[in-house]
Amino acid sequence: MRNMKRPRRTTAVLAAAVMALVGCSDGGSSGLPADEGGGTIDTSEGVKLGILGQCEGPFGGFHEDTVGGTALAMVNHAGATVESATSALDGFSGAEVDGTPIELVGVGCGDDTPDRIIEEVRRLVEQLGANVIIGPLSGDEGIAVAEYAKEHPDLTVLAGISGSQEQTLQVQAPNYFRFYGDGAIWNAGLGDVLHHQEGWDDVAVIADDYSFGHTSAAGFIADFCGVGGNVTARVFPPLGTTDYSSYIAQLPGPDEVDGYFWAVGGTGTQAALEAFVNAKGDLSGDQHAGNLFFNPDLAQSLGTDIAGAYVGGFATLPGDVTTPAIEEYLASADATWETLAGGVSGNEPAPPSTAAAFGFFYGYYSAGVALVRGLEAAGGFDDPEVLHQSLSGLTLELPYGDISLDENRSGIVDVGLSRLVVDENGEVVQEAAAIIPGVDQSFGGTFSPDTPAPSRDFPACEERDLPWEGNAIEVVDGVPQE
Amino acid sequence: MRTGSSMLNWRAASLALAVVVLAALPTVASAFFINFVMTQTLMMGLAAATIVFLAKYGGMVSLAQFLFFGVAGFMYGNAALEVGSRGLNLGLPPWTAVGFALIVTTVAAFLLGALASRTTGLYYLMLTMVYAVIGYFVFAQVTEISGPSGITSIERPDELAAPVSLYYTALALSVLAYIGFRALGRTAFGLALQGVRDDPVRMASLGFNVPLHRTLAFTLGGFVAGLGGLVNVWWNGQIDPASIGIGPTLVLLIIAVIGGVSYFEGAWLGAFVYVAMFTYLRDLPLVDRIGITEARFNTVIGVVVLLIMVLSPQGLAGIADRFRRRLSDRRRPVAETSDRSEGASHRAQSIDK
Repeated sequence: MRNMKRPRRTTAVLAAAVMALVGCSDGGSSGLPADEGGGTIDTSEGVKLGILGQCEGPFGGFHEDTVGGTALAMVNHAGATVESATSALDGFSGAEVDGTPIELVGVGCGDDTPDRIIEEVRRLVEQLGANVIIGPLSGDEGIAVAEYAKEHPDLTVLAGISGSQEQTLQVQAPNYFRFYGDGAIWNAGLGDVLHHQEGWDDVAVIADDYSFGHTSAAGFIADFCGVGGNVTARVFPPLGTTDYSSYIAQLPGPDEVDGYFWAVGGTGTQAALEAFVNAKGDLSGDQHAGNLFFNPDLAQSLGTDIAGAYVGGFATLPGDVTTPAIEEYLASADATWETLAGGVSGNEPAPPSTAAAFGFFYGYYSAGVALVRGLEAAGGFDDPEVLHQSLSGLTLELPYGDISLDENRSGIVDVGLSRLVVDENGEVVQEAAAIIPGVDQSFGGTFSPDTPAPSRDFPACEERDLPWEGNAIEVVDGVPQE
Repeated sequence: MRTGSSMLNWRAASLALAVVVLAALPTVASAFFINFVMTQTLMMGLAAATIVFLAKYGGMVSLAQFLFFGVAGFMYGNAALEVGSRGLNLGLPPWTAVGFALIVTTVAAFLLGALASRTTGLYYLMLTMVYAVIGYFVFAQVTEISGPSGITSIERPDELAAPVSLYYTALALSVLAYIGFRALGRTAFGLALQGVRDDPVRMASLGFNVPLHRTLAFTLGGFVAGLGGLVNVWWNGQIDPASIGIGPTLVLLIIAVIGGVSYFEGAWLGAFVYVAMFTYLRDLPLVDRIGITEARFNTVIGVVVLLIMVLSPQGLAGIADRFRRRLSDRRRPVAETSDRSEGASHRAQSIDK
């Protein structure tokens, strides 16, 4: 009996201790160090930069690209030197803008989930003392980081290449800046071309079931339906699906629609198209279009029949478009590193310009340049609010075109549409087809802070006036025909 | 009885010391350590403790506990948010939302527990894994209750606005759960549950309702995991279907295995090891030179789990327990230890743990 009574007494004493603990958590500031330091942003020692990359998950292969983009911006515009000639992940040193040092304090490792990226941004800001963040890479991550930025007004976040619409249009954190387009913007004009030039009327859409997939599909649907087309089916497989057969089965057959629009990315693009070939027969390029994930590498397993497909734009322009600024930018990447193992080269060492020409690298580069130009305009980093105002008013002169921000601090950009074609060597390559100038994320009012976020059933398929309908600038042999 | 009594005293003293140290920690530790590492440790430990509870008393290894963790988070988000394009936006007062979330979680746990109550062993593991997978797909597909793409901008009640108050809340819930689970083992229900674990046929023939005992235990586990889920959603500010995917589900089991599935304290110990490794491993000097970067975290955790399963199937808490027993055996006179039969010793230990 002694044994049974003692634990009850112990339990009572401990329960009282717990109640006392509960009393401690009265909600007000307790004056404890843990309450004082939680996410406080210190700007007294210059810029402490944290980069949010992605080393795991569907886009884990682009981790090197994310750090590389920012490092190249620091090398080209802030006098930095890289720490390694073969890996961007080793970072850079010596970056300085008008006397304000920029120190890389850490690189976060996302895995495409918001939970993980929040943990990473907290680690960078709250443990390593970052006061400026460049990143993240992926759609849902962008929304989570924008929310985090909203809670920490002295933090400055320059989005990496995360393409969801909501992070700027809906979240509206005053310290979150995006110097590139979003998933919807990058498909602007594609529907116009397909409906009016290629004669597509009915289309089936298949897109990843997360914010970037939704945004990407929303841009195409708003555009294609806006000019009079009809979307007859929308299928959304979860991101990271490996067996797409059940989702392909939900698509109408090739004889029931004029074409298909694909916004399946990461490791899923190839798998989804192969599942399509298995279920519905061979591909024919003139019946397929895709967002930025539709690239010439697909021909390796799908054959040259993929040629003819139209592809939406991304942060950069297709490789056949060359200007002195683009050449200088790519040459600077080759001069900075000997090789980089970026995502485009399958994480095998390759000339750094291979990675630099792709949007993931370039988005982080743009953010780095924006930070430098913002600091120059703000005259230092004494007051984050001044930096935020400077960033909001910037027009960045970048290799692939100038970018300014709208009232929600999201980029107004020129979108370069392209087409997969067979070159003289019989290989499938990407060739610029048209440039859609000055696209912003509102799509002429289709999307606004008051409309729902892009989702499986938003926007509806409706005819609308689009500002760029008929304004596409044709590109011939890599030269825009203005 | 002297040995059992001294063990209880030792445990109570250790627990009281741990509570005092943890309560005083925010006065000395950094904000990041408290608000990130320790808060996460306590809430993950709380959820992992429910795995220990079901395995230790009921012999049921459940992979569904993270689902209830997520259900509570989603339900709180649906109930507490007033406006926005995500979720049901019920706009309930925060503490009413807490009640709503816990009721839904507990009811879900009861129903799923009842369905699983006639299975045991490997089949129970598989069935609860199916729950976890179905749960993920329900939230991924039924976007009315999960987003789309999750529920964001979730705020915690005003009373918990200060970051450290979340730590104290997690600590208080953890201590209550620890004491509660241990105390439950000595109640009639707890003893019957352990009987069900050891010999369900004999317990049924004695008149005990075996499926009901299992169901109620699973329900309690779901409720406590839901408490952890509430702290998580306050801490994170958002929850999305990927938060309760099969990956996080396995993380919770890994935490329980690292700590030791036979020891309640092991749940928090395992959570601390997991969170600390996740946070600090990559900062160790030169660790990246041997290939251990943040991208290799899962590999390192896998190796740690493998080592623990080989070297100490009882986990880290098992190692600590063995060490303590060896010390006490060395101090005790031989005559006193030898008069207890091995079976009696084992029974005393299994009840005392």
